[in-house]
Amino acid sequence: MGLWELVDKFLIIFYRISGHPVFDYFLGTFLVALMAVVIGEFTISVVFLVNKNHLDRLNTRLADLQQLTMAALKLGDKKSYDACNKEANDAFGRVFFNMFGLSAAALWPAFFALAWMQQRFAGIDFPIPFTGLAVNYVFTFLICYILARVFFGRVKNRLPYFRGIHQMLMAYEENSGKSQVVL
Amino acid sequence: MKKGIINKIALATLLLMLAVLVLGASGVGAQQETGKNAQVQVVGSDLGLKGKLGKAIAKAPVGTGKGQIDPNAPRGAFGIPGAPKINYLVAILWAIWVGWIFSTVGAFGGIMAGVGHMTVYGLGDYIKTFKKTAPQLNKLLTDSIRTSNQWLVGLSSLLSTVNYLRAKRLAWPLGLALGLGSIAGAVAIPALTGGKVSFSQYQGWFGLFVFVVGGVLLYETTPRGQASKKAAKEAARAFEQSIKEKKDEAIQGITVTQWGLTNIKFSFLGVEFRFNPIWAFIGGVVIAAISAFLGVGGGFLYVPYLTSIVGLPMFVVAGTSAMAVLVSMLTSITTYITVAGAAMDWGMIGVELIGVFIGSMIGPRTQKYIPDIWLKRLFVVLALYVGLGYFSKGFFGKAWVPM
Repeated sequence: MGLWELVDKFLIIFYRISGHPVFDYFLGTFLVALMAVVIGEFTISVVFLVNKNHLDRLNTRLADLQQLTMAALKLGDKKSYDACNKEANDAFGRVFFNMFGLSAAALWPAFFALAWMQQRFAGIDFPIPFTGLAVNYVFTFLICYILARVFFGRVKNRLPYFRGIHQMLMAYEENSGKSQVVL
Repeated sequence: MKKGIINKIALATLLLMLAVLVLGASGVGAQQETGKNAQVQVVGSDLGLKGKLGKAIAKAPVGTGKGQIDPNAPRGAFGIPGAPKINYLVAILWAIWVGWIFSTVGAFGGIMAGVGHMTVYGLGDYIKTFKKTAPQLNKLLTDSIRTSNQWLVGLSSLLSTVNYLRAKRLAWPLGLALGLGSIAGAVAIPALTGGKVSFSQYQGWFGLFVFVVGGVLLYETTPRGQASKKAAKEAARAFEQSIKEKKDEAIQGITVTQWGLTNIKFSFLGVEFRFNPIWAFIGGVVIAAISAFLGVGGGFLYVPYLTSIVGLPMFVVAGTSAMAVLVSMLTSITTYITVAGAAMDWGMIGVELIGVFIGSMIGPRTQKYIPDIWLKRLFVVLALYVGLGYFSKGFFGKAWVPM
């Protein structure tokens, strides 16, 4: 049995809970989305822990340059303003593209969930009542994924591993003050 | 030179580029059906693939040769029978390289993501085979490549925007004007050019774009570029020394002090900024249109536009540009998928994301061993090679360098 077949056998269990097809579809999609959120949050916490020092340096440098830019502007020092803004531009580029690594770590499971749903549910339309419009599996997954993110955001402080990570991030934010990395 | 004149020159250049892109696309749209052959036996069924892709498959010639669809072949990329099956190991390794570039150099990562889709995974050569036998399929799959690039490049804006929103660092009137413009651009280009741009044409334009990025990198490595950077660094450092005691200022939110059709003022940290929302809107339209056409993120254009042309400080620009990229990316991807009918290979993107975050962990650990200038020189050489290869392959049908 291939990996995809194994995954399929496991994930489809979430779609057979109550026996009511429509309810089961949305419940199952929500649970699959929740699983994608949890795996993504775990991965991003690992990436954050591994890259913390590097991110600290980048964020502190950017915050300092931005403060300097504002100070130069207040003092009416055009030359210093342009110089600091140019440097801040450079620093922002690094922060922005490093953020890409973090977003990739958070979101990769969602794309595998979509790949699986495509095999199972492509071609099935879900009509929106009173509009005459219909949506597909991508739309329903995205709605469930957003709900799962909101739900997980509320409960993660009470879960064993994530509670520790959350406390560490809170302390990190308080200490750095100016940090821009908020997970 | 006055800022107003620079504004106009920059926008005129961007508008000209956009016009060339749109004209180029429609020109290609008019060249289709060159290999029409009434005797060809077609697939006749969508083979379970929905939407425009399924319809294009049904019209493609059936068979096992090049430019034909074999319904009995195993399904590959985008679920098409006989399409190259993405080798997940190769995809991860390539994506690690992309992630490494993102975390060390920046913008060039998007280009390398495109190179992966077109060349490394073998999708470009496969799509090209349909140029004459099934032009519509060729163009639909070109849109799929453009959209796949955008997923990868635009995702970074999602986390950044959320973070800046939480930190109350979005200059929202500016974001609104820019965002509305970027929605217009990101809807218009996929709607106008979706299903009309052949893979060769896209490859040619992509090559040209790589040349431009390579040119910017080359300038940064020249003595003049280096001197300008060094001067800015020194001026910033000198100012830093003189201002140290004023470092801890209380962070206040952005307050809009005046609304107008051509002039909006807002204050931040007690300093007043102003901008013309019409220019911001036009800038949003043009940048989003170019990004959507090429299948790139657009951050590399929004940030210099807002800092150098509109003259705003990075403190305000950072979050606003991230939001503009997010809005234009979401709009463009949605339009490509819904209106133009681009197919997605979700598994391929998932695998690439795994590689990207591994690469972004390796990047910071290896960066210190390679001086910035040598890194840039390496990418200048790569940009010249890749740009020349795609440009010649796309517009002249034959690569002038081995690829």
